[in-house]
Amino acid sequence: MEREEEDSVSELLRDRFRVSTISIAEAEAKRNDMEISGPVMTCIADLAFKFTEQLAKDLELFAQHAGRKTANMEDVILSAHRNEHLAALLRSFSNDLKAREPQSERKRKKSSKKEDQATTSVVHIPDS
Amino acid sequence: MEENTFEPDLVHAIFKLVWSNRALERQMIEGTDALDCEVGAGTSKKNRPSSANGNAVKLSCELLRNFVTEAVQRAATIAEAEGVSKIEATHLERVLPQLLLDF
Repeated sequence: MEREEEDSVSELLRDRFRVSTISIAEAEAKRNDMEISGPVMTCIADLAFKFTEQLAKDLELFAQHAGRKTANMEDVILSAHRNEHLAALLRSFSNDLKAREPQSERKRKKSSKKEDQATTSVVHIPDS
Repeated sequence: MEENTFEPDLVHAIFKLVWSNRALERQMIEGTDALDCEVGAGTSKKNRPSSANGNAVKLSCELLRNFVTEAVQRAATIAEAEGVSKIEATHLERVLPQLLLDF
């Protein structure tokens, strides 16, 4: 009974994820002046879903290794460390996110922005 | 960058599902020992599922969006080289190994 419920939840998530992937893939194909066939999009959606599950496991392990219970942006960047371009892209996106929401960050960490930057740069040095 | 991306709530829900499943698994494995050993606050803390902060989830959405757009773009390049205007499964097949290595 419980197992069935769990399965239906994961099926629902998978379907919602598939819909999102298809809209992204279609938009991207349109930008390239291309059509894209349905099975290809479904396949990409399933790949992306598997990738998400793997990412969740990675983030959990990275956070645990750092002695945390909560995955943060450094963990996400670390998960892409094999691809320098991707890691650089994510790092710049993470800086954008930080810059866009300074108030929530201050609320969470209860520290000044200078201290915040200092801690992130300390974290930054060993993994680059 | 664009308005077309994954919803952070959706990605977070998937993460939570994976983490709670893994926490359950850990509990099952430890459950057999826990009967003999101490069942203290330490074990329940250890078995609590992980969580993620909001920005980490948004960043994961960006990573996933990049995965999808890269897959389409690379397949589109192959389709273009073949002179067709529709991306088919064979085009994805050609780019898949490198794509999976890059992510």
